[in-house]
Amino acid sequence: MSGDVRLKIENVSKTFARLGKPSVEALRSIDLSITEGEFLAIVGASGSGKSTLLRIVDGLLAPSNGSVKVDGVPVRSPGRDRAMVFQQDALLPWKTVIQNVAYGLTLAHVPKPEAAKTAQRFINLAGLRGFEHHYPHQLSGGMRQRVNVARALAVDPKILLLDEPFAALDAQTREIMQTELMSIWQETRKTVVLITHQIDEAVFLADRVVVFSARPGTIRDQVKIDLPRPRSLELKRKVEFVSLVDRIWKMIETEVRASLEQNA
Amino acid sequence: MQEPSALRKILDVLEQDGRMAATARVAISAVCVIAVWQLVTLFVTNRLVLVPPIDVARALVREANDGAMWTNAVATVTAVGISFVVSVAIGVLLGLSLASSRALSLTAGPLLAALNSVPIIALAPLFIAWLGLGFASKFVLVLLVAVFPVVVTTETGLRATDRQLIEAARSFNATNLQVFTTVTFPFALPFIVSGIRVAWARALVGIVVAEFFGSFAGFGFAILSASQTFDTARVLAYVFLLGAMGLLGTMLFETLEHRLAPWRHE
Repeated sequence: MSGDVRLKIENVSKTFARLGKPSVEALRSIDLSITEGEFLAIVGASGSGKSTLLRIVDGLLAPSNGSVKVDGVPVRSPGRDRAMVFQQDALLPWKTVIQNVAYGLTLAHVPKPEAAKTAQRFINLAGLRGFEHHYPHQLSGGMRQRVNVARALAVDPKILLLDEPFAALDAQTREIMQTELMSIWQETRKTVVLITHQIDEAVFLADRVVVFSARPGTIRDQVKIDLPRPRSLELKRKVEFVSLVDRIWKMIETEVRASLEQNA
Repeated sequence: MQEPSALRKILDVLEQDGRMAATARVAISAVCVIAVWQLVTLFVTNRLVLVPPIDVARALVREANDGAMWTNAVATVTAVGISFVVSVAIGVLLGLSLASSRALSLTAGPLLAALNSVPIIALAPLFIAWLGLGFASKFVLVLLVAVFPVVVTTETGLRATDRQLIEAARSFNATNLQVFTTVTFPFALPFIVSGIRVAWARALVGIVVAEFFGSFAGFGFAILSASQTFDTARVLAYVFLLGAMGLLGTMLFETLEHRLAPWRHE
């Protein structure tokens, strides 16, 4: 792993203008540097602008201020160097698993045989072998998220963006998916930015956890996670792990209370 | 546990999903209709009012043998076919433009809704006065009744597209055209087909009315002339043919809808 900065987020702010209503400040002056191959998790109360930041990094939203750079090149629109894994139901229901995984490649006009070959590789990696010709509605929630991850990886991005990828899954499936994501990451060594509500998920997966404040989102704190890799689910019962989760929860707690009062 | 009754067993078989059960259901309802019809003709003996099913079948055979049915079929099917296909094309195009421009939708939408609620069929005599007895008046009448369901469902389908799917496509750097061809249009397609299904039924009504008012061939013309000679069997024979056309179209478009969007039906 080299220490080169892969993703640089400089002074990013975002304010949403709303017709006839006061505008909403979602993000204020976010500065973050993420090195090549790093797994970064962002946690925070809901409405803290985490997802907004991820969409700005992906190029789906333009920041009101500041800039995002991938390998020094400013981001202006979505591109193949970044790929996003959405919460759920972002698969095309009329396409099979293999067609969904190849979707990004098809859009980029990669020739069909090559796209199918690449898609097959990531289907195998995501443990979807045998389900190539199933449709999303024939799969469980966990399987669908594997397809989502495989689709994002298939375009071979430098940075993988995960927007609460397991939020819609039940607790047990979520744990399994976390270990699977971990082993996929270990194999591909992508730079990852993960947004999550689950503090234990963030600590379990990430090298560094960034804690966002309530609206407007700012970086409240950063916690380096030095737990040894490879990590297994047993780690979640170890004292070091639990105390890290606890520390981060205490930071978030005040923010959650603040945001509860905001919304009251 | 009580043994299920014989009736319950038969109902269980009929309530199944398969093709066999569906065919059996259709067969049973057809037999019931014919039986009731036959029964009623035993009491209603005025043959100007009602004829038994067998007379209608005989009339069908007679019409088929002397060629009148084919002349009428060619006239009706070509007229309704051409007008229907053009209505669908225009309907989809109008729906597309309404869905692509909010301003247009807000401006033209109420006008279209108003037009849609006018019983256009009532204007048939006027169209015939304007456009004559030929193809043109039939075409315009069918177009005006059949186009609206397609416009409405096309716009609805395009607008109903899941935002998440569009965002995912954008995230993969899709162009506007790619978002349309790979996301919004496939999403809208089953909606459009359901509009087409309704349009087909309305097109049949349109063509018959147009033929009532002014034509020299076609099912509508045949029904009108048969009723003027009090030939009830022939009237019903042609009604039966129209019903078959309607049913075939509906079945075809329903199958298509299921094929295009299997995820909605499971």
